[in-house]
Amino acid sequence: MDSLLSPQLLAAAMITGVLYALISLGLNLVYGTMRLLNVAHGDLVMIGAYVAFIAFSLLNIGPLVSMFGAALICGFLGWLSYKCVFQRLLSNGQLLSRLEENSLLLFFALSVIIQNLAILFFSADRRGYEYLSAIVEIGDVRLTGARLTVLIVGAVISAAVVFFLRFSLFGLAMNALIQNRDASAIVGINVDRVQMSSLIFGFGITGLAGALISMMEPISPVMGFPYTMSAFVIIILGGLGNLWGGFLAGLLLGVLEVYGVALTGPEWRSVLVYGIFVLILIFRPQGLLGSGKTAR
Amino acid sequence: MVKHLIIKTFVILGMFGMAYSVQAADPVKIGFSIPKTGMFASAGPSQLNAYLLWQDLVNAKGGLDIGGKGRRKIEFVQYDDKSNPAQAAKIYEKLITNDKVDLVVAPWGTPHHFAVAPVVERHKFPLVGNTAASVALRKVKPGYLWFTSSMMPDNVAKAMTAMLKSRGVKSVAILYNLLPFASENIQFLKPALAKAGIKIHFEAKYPPDIKDMTGMLIKVKAKNPDAVLVHSYPGDSILYMNQAREVGINAKTQYVMVGPAIGFFRGMFKSNLDGIITMGSWAPGMKGTTGSQKFYTAYKKKFKGHEPDYLDTVEVYASVQILEQAIAKVGLNREKIRNAINTMTFKTIYGDVKFNGVQNGSTPSGFTQIQKGKIEVVWPKSRATAPVADKGAWAN
Repeated sequence: MDSLLSPQLLAAAMITGVLYALISLGLNLVYGTMRLLNVAHGDLVMIGAYVAFIAFSLLNIGPLVSMFGAALICGFLGWLSYKCVFQRLLSNGQLLSRLEENSLLLFFALSVIIQNLAILFFSADRRGYEYLSAIVEIGDVRLTGARLTVLIVGAVISAAVVFFLRFSLFGLAMNALIQNRDASAIVGINVDRVQMSSLIFGFGITGLAGALISMMEPISPVMGFPYTMSAFVIIILGGLGNLWGGFLAGLLLGVLEVYGVALTGPEWRSVLVYGIFVLILIFRPQGLLGSGKTAR
Repeated sequence: MVKHLIIKTFVILGMFGMAYSVQAADPVKIGFSIPKTGMFASAGPSQLNAYLLWQDLVNAKGGLDIGGKGRRKIEFVQYDDKSNPAQAAKIYEKLITNDKVDLVVAPWGTPHHFAVAPVVERHKFPLVGNTAASVALRKVKPGYLWFTSSMMPDNVAKAMTAMLKSRGVKSVAILYNLLPFASENIQFLKPALAKAGIKIHFEAKYPPDIKDMTGMLIKVKAKNPDAVLVHSYPGDSILYMNQAREVGINAKTQYVMVGPAIGFFRGMFKSNLDGIITMGSWAPGMKGTTGSQKFYTAYKKKFKGHEPDYLDTVEVYASVQILEQAIAKVGLNREKIRNAINTMTFKTIYGDVKFNGVQNGSTPSGFTQIQKGKIEVVWPKSRATAPVADKGAWAN
């Protein structure tokens, strides 16, 4: 029981939570504004991770710089997929009625293409690099520099994005779109532009998260799927399309996982995480902070 | 005259036809499944790279020697099993009945071997296994399947206990992944430790998708065991390496089952890996092996300077060398190949291999340790390239 009071455990929970929150942010944004089920989400994490790996190993550029390059590249992919595929899908009334099913299939195809291209270019071998590996001591807490960096940068970026979307004019437009698409158009919001920006922004944030993850974990073309799963669990927990809800659910899941495992035993991890998920679906299907109203 | 001309023309055309038909039927079709997607996808390349290198090297010689009656090149037929053992079983059925392959080589991992065993048994296709070892399978169904691995869990348990005793270890903490191979190792390790009088101060099992080990490691540190034995796979091995340093696990004997012998892993941890013991009993150019240095050099050349996985890739390559030598002896008759595998002694990069039943009866279970960035075989002493050293303080 003493281990539950350990500040080391609290730090581990915060790192896991912040990472969950950051990973789910992009997925929530894309689903919230457009109702697109992006099952290729984890593959964007993978692209971001490869950008950071290549920048580090070939150009000697650290991931704290290259994460912005990863965001730009993934953002560009967002723009490209919007222009090539989703703009038409979203503007066609007939297709719009089957948007979630169609987007699921499209993103699944995109996921397969991205993974196979990555295998073609980089091979399926795992890759990794050493960055900020020294231990940093803060009071009783000892963390590798990389994990500490992920904690700080992840928290700052997640909070900044959530605040930007909550308080900036553009963020308010996105929120309006999340709440009611038709009403947003009536009050003069350029729906097409906001949708495109959401996809660029959502993809970009995910690529940035991938660059941060590459500092701690090995990367491979097939690394994405677990992140897709985690992100879906989190945005459903927080309330689909609710960015604050998703952020808090990410943190909560991190805390639950680390403390739950410390309290019960690691073999209970999946029971705890998916048990809470099922309970939320049964008793609060709109998610922790969801309003329960569907304004579509 | 005209008659002669017609006969000559037919003879020449016939020769061309024969030559063409021999050439067209030339490659030996060898099938396998590989996890290209799903949970084990990142482990697949250790196996696939060995197959591809073997194909290159054999085909460069003109192909497989078919019982001393000429050479035929290797052609692979491969499918993604999506890391799903049931899918692997279907693939092997398809390879044999639909694709009509001449032979099959192994899928990746113990669960997949379990799944394809009934298929190869039913069709009487010899399969020299690799990347897998299971006492359970050995007990259940010997027949057309052999294990090249020297890492049978019961033998590993004996070797581990002997190594720990030689180091004066009195207590251990055991952490293990719930995947079958790791669990089976623990099943044999615990009684072996009890018999040797080594106490288990802490034990925890965890799921393959574990995201954080801090809680477990805090408890390990509090128990202060002489040795920490982590039966992990690359993903969770990385978690251990990061978080053991954070928590301050300073046991002088630390074993991390799978990962440290893979090139990317060493790139991630560099000098922090010094002193970590891992599963394996191979180093390039070590005595008793045949062509291991040549294999190492060829691998690095083909895969742009990357090193082979000292555990899986080596074992996979040895498994296909066994098949190659059996074919060279008896040709492509599968029943004869089966008999040859049962009786011959094979010269491989892993050392001489002779099967005792279905298991590799020649190569002992062993361990390697990273010492000053180099992988040394440290156990058993008969194969050791260096003695076991204490794990010193973490580098940073």
